[in-house]
Amino acid sequence: MDANIPVLFRTYPSRETHSGCKIWEAARATSAAPTFFKHIEIGREQPFIDGGLGRNNPSRVVLDEAYTLFRARPIGCLVSIGTGHTGIISIKKPGFLQVLPTEVFEALEAILTDCEATHEDMRCLFANLSNTYFRLNVEQGMQGIGFSEQEKLANVEAHTMQYMKRKKVDEMLALVVNAIKFPRTQVTVEQLSMEISLVQTELTPKYCFCSFS
Amino acid sequence: MLGRLRMDVDTAIDYYDDLVKQVFSASNHWPGDGRFKATKLEEVIKSAVGDVTGDPEEPLLEISDTSACRT
Repeated sequence: MDANIPVLFRTYPSRETHSGCKIWEAARATSAAPTFFKHIEIGREQPFIDGGLGRNNPSRVVLDEAYTLFRARPIGCLVSIGTGHTGIISIKKPGFLQVLPTEVFEALEAILTDCEATHEDMRCLFANLSNTYFRLNVEQGMQGIGFSEQEKLANVEAHTMQYMKRKKVDEMLALVVNAIKFPRTQVTVEQLSMEISLVQTELTPKYCFCSFS
Repeated sequence: MLGRLRMDVDTAIDYYDDLVKQVFSASNHWPGDGRFKATKLEEVIKSAVGDVTGDPEEPLLEISDTSACRT
């Protein structure tokens, strides 16, 4: 299968809805991270692996979907919640890396970069729409916590609480609440999607000059 | 959990906490199939779905409620 083409599991009817899928199957398919769980086959025996390998940061996928569903509606806001800065999804556990095939390790490293690159693209895309795009991501202290180390859940909680208490983050949360309660943007999903093609084809994160007239 | 099952945040954290503890303590003896038991993961997910909807095999698609949050 091609991991670059994401399959979306939707709870609502759509032309591409994966019909007949059960809640547990969707949950199982979206947690089928290679080397952690065996892949799952749903329906016509299509194997599914977790989107992390192709779409660790699904912001662009969400905007595409919003375009299909709500084309002419003004965009309220986009809130992106990360799982912790790069280190958190590293799987540097003693004794484990040795058995990890090089190509898998390289793929995991690519996820980390992919995730931040998408964030930069989004920042660029929303540059002239104030208080519309937000990304929350615990930046410090999560390094080295792999996603199967359940004994460290308390650490994750502590780091997250600390992150949320930071002045900058606290202020951002207030803006998020405000943006959800009182959407102000006049730009439609369609207009934004036209900008996306620009970001994808011409701009790199280093050269941001998106504009809305 | 938050979207389709409409759990509140605290309930979702409780279920996740329980899921992680059960699933990641069940290592696989055959590394080719992944480090942890997918069957255990399925069992825990189904139990959560059953708790909330009454049916562990509840379909993902919601046709009845079109005003519901699209997930």
